[in-house]
Amino acid sequence: MLRRAQCLLRMHSSTSRQSLCAAQRVPVALHKHYSADEANRDGKQNPNAKRAGTGGSKSLPAVRNVFATAQDKTKDTYLTMVEIFGERDVHRRNHVEFIYAALKHMPDFGVENDLEVYKALINVMPKGKFIPTNLFQAEFMHYPKQQQCIIDLLEQMEDFGVMPDYEMEAMLLNVFGNKGHPLRKYWRMMYWMPKFKNLSPWPLPNPVPDDTLEIAKLAVERMCTVDLRSQINVFETKELNDAVDETWIVSGMSPEQSKLLREHSRQKALYIEGPFHIWIRNRRINYFTLRADADAEFLAQLDERQLDEDDVSNIEVPFFGRPPPRRHNQLGKLRSVHQQDDGTIFAICATGTSTKDSLLSWIRLLEANGNPSIGEVPVLFRFTSTVPAKSEEIEGPTSVPATSSDSPSRSRKEDEPSVS
Amino acid sequence: MYNLLRQGQRLTCWMPAAQQMHTTAVQRTFWEREKKSGYKTKLPEPSKKQLIMDGLRDLKEEIKLWRKEVTEQLESDPILVFRPGETDVVFDFKAPDVLDKWTVTTDADHGEGKSTAALELSAAGAGLFHGEVNSNHTKDGIIKRTGYANIRTKRVRKSFKRESTYDWTQYNMLIMKVRGDGRSYLINLHTEGYFDLMWNDIYHYVLYTRGGPHWQIAKIPFSKFFLSSKGRVQDRQGAIPLNRVTHFGFSVAAKKGMDGPFGLEIDYVGLEYDPSHREEFAYEMYQTPKYIVAT
Repeated sequence: MLRRAQCLLRMHSSTSRQSLCAAQRVPVALHKHYSADEANRDGKQNPNAKRAGTGGSKSLPAVRNVFATAQDKTKDTYLTMVEIFGERDVHRRNHVEFIYAALKHMPDFGVENDLEVYKALINVMPKGKFIPTNLFQAEFMHYPKQQQCIIDLLEQMEDFGVMPDYEMEAMLLNVFGNKGHPLRKYWRMMYWMPKFKNLSPWPLPNPVPDDTLEIAKLAVERMCTVDLRSQINVFETKELNDAVDETWIVSGMSPEQSKLLREHSRQKALYIEGPFHIWIRNRRINYFTLRADADAEFLAQLDERQLDEDDVSNIEVPFFGRPPPRRHNQLGKLRSVHQQDDGTIFAICATGTSTKDSLLSWIRLLEANGNPSIGEVPVLFRFTSTVPAKSEEIEGPTSVPATSSDSPSRSRKEDEPSVS
Repeated sequence: MYNLLRQGQRLTCWMPAAQQMHTTAVQRTFWEREKKSGYKTKLPEPSKKQLIMDGLRDLKEEIKLWRKEVTEQLESDPILVFRPGETDVVFDFKAPDVLDKWTVTTDADHGEGKSTAALELSAAGAGLFHGEVNSNHTKDGIIKRTGYANIRTKRVRKSFKRESTYDWTQYNMLIMKVRGDGRSYLINLHTEGYFDLMWNDIYHYVLYTRGGPHWQIAKIPFSKFFLSSKGRVQDRQGAIPLNRVTHFGFSVAAKKGMDGPFGLEIDYVGLEYDPSHREEFAYEMYQTPKYIVAT
C-alpha cells in the first residue's frame, strides 16, 4: 500500500492533491481513456487539428495517459500502474485500450524485454469470460478485439525476442480457452523461437554489456575465431612512454600470424587499414587491421601445383616410366588461413579512441610483445572510411582527402637499415 | 488441400462491407490481381516504334539462346556424377556484368521507409551489398515496422522470355563465400508457384556472418530451410522443392535497434552434394490439429 501511495504521488503530484490524504479514492479519479490522449496532446500543439474536429478538443473528455505522464519511469511504477488498473473496479472497462497504451510505452520504461511485465498485462484480462461455449463462437473468433489485442502483445514479444513460458500458456488458456487465436500464436512461438534462439555459431550474451571495452573484446574474439590459436591481448597505452592518448587497445593475433610477419619481406610495406565495423548484436565497433598485399608469387605457386582432375589426356601410370619427383611435388608450404586472395592479415585491433596515435601505440606494443620484425618494415596508414566526418575525426583536420589516404607516418622506422 | 487451408487464413479477414474504410485497395476475393500484391509501380510504356525496335534487337539474343538450348538437348550430355566436396558455382560475382542479374529493393522504394542499399563491385572484385537500414518510417498509421534492404536475382528463364526454374535436386548444400560485418542476413529461396497462393512462397534460413577481414565459407544444408509466405512462417511445413526454385536473395533488417550501415561482400554462391548429410527436413512434420492450421 505504501509503495502504491508513493507511486500515485509521483503520478499525480501536479494535478490531484487529494491523493495525499486518501490514496484509496485516487484510482477512481484516474481517467478512463488511456490511449486517446496522445492524439489529444497533439491536438493542443496543432491548431489545425482543433479546427478540423467537429467539437474541437473541448468536446473530448479530459484524457491522460498515465504511461506517458509518469515521471518515474521504472519497472516498479509500470507494474504498480497495471496493478492499480486491475483493482480499480470490477468491470475493468477499457482494458484493451489500456493494454495497447501499456505496450506502446514499454521501451520508455525499459521493460520491453521483461517477461514478467507481459504476463502482468495478460493478467489484466478477465479469466473465463472470453472462453467460447459453443462451436460457432469458437469458429468466429469470440471477442475479436480482445483476442487481437493479446495477439499484438505476443507479436511485440516476438519482435523483442522475448520467449514466453508455460505459465503464460496457462494464463492464456484461462482467458481464451484452448480454441483461442492467441493460444495458436503462442504455440507457434513456442515451436519456432527455441529453434532459432541458439542458432548462431558465435553466441553472444543477451543483452550485451554496456562497457565499450567488453564489447570490443567480444568483437575481436569473434573475428579471431577464424584461427583457434589466436590470442587476445588487452594493452594500455600507458605502458608506452611517448603515447599521447591514454586508452585501451584490444589486439588479436595468432602465432601463425606472428610467423607470417617474421617471414614477411622487409621491402614490402604493411598497412594499417580501417576503420571497418562489426556488429555485436545492436552495438557497432570500429576495428583496424594490420595487413600486407597478397604474396602473389606464393599464391601463383600454389595454383601451379594444382592438377586438373578432369584432364584425361595424360594419365600418369605410377608403376613404370615414372618421372623423378619435381621440386614442386616435394614438401611445400601450406597456405595459411590468413593469406587471403586480397591480402595477408597479420593482426586485428580495436582501440578506445580509434585515433592514429592509439594505432601507432598498437604497432609499438606489438613490436614489444614478440614481433620485433615490425620495426624493420615500413608501416603505412590507410584510412578508408566512407564517412568523411569520421575519418576527419580520426585523422585530425588535414587537407588529405577523406576517402582514402596513404600517409607514411612512420618514416622514423623506414630510415632504419634492415637487419637481415 | 494445403492451399485450401491457407485460403482459410484470408477468410478470417472478411468483414461486412459497411465497416470497411481502407486507404489501399481491398482484397474482396481469394484471387490476387497481380504478383506484387498492390506494390506494382506503373512505369510509362515506351512508344510502339520503340517496342518494335527493342523486340527486334532482343530477338537476335533470344534466337542465340534458343540455339544453345536445342544443341544442349541434342547433345544430351547431362552431369550425372556429383562428386562430394566439389562446389558448383551458381552465382559468381567475379563474372562480367553480374550486377545486371540482381535487383536491389528497400523499404524506401514505396515511400514506406528510409533505408538505402546498393549492390556494387568491391575492391576485392566481389559483389558488395551495402547501405544503411533505418527503422524510422513514415507515420501514416498503417505501416507498423520497416527497415529492410534486399537483393534478389531476376527470374530464371529460357529463350523467348519463357519462365523456367532452377533444378538443384542433385545437391543438398548451399555454399557461400562471404565476408560480412557481424550482422545476420536472411537467405531467401523463392519457389514461386503457378497459383496466387504460391506466389509468395519463400524458404528462409539465416546467414550468420563472423565479421572481420577474413572470408568465410558458409555451408548450409537445404534441409534447414523453412517455408514462409509474406513474412509469416507457415504451419504446414515441408522440405524445399529444389526443382522449383525461381529466385535467390539476401535480406537484412534493422530489427532490435540494429539501425545503421551494413555490408555483405559475396564472392560466390554455389551448390554441393554432401553424401554424409542424410537429413531431409530439419523440422517436425507431425499432424497439426484440425482447424488450427493457417488460422
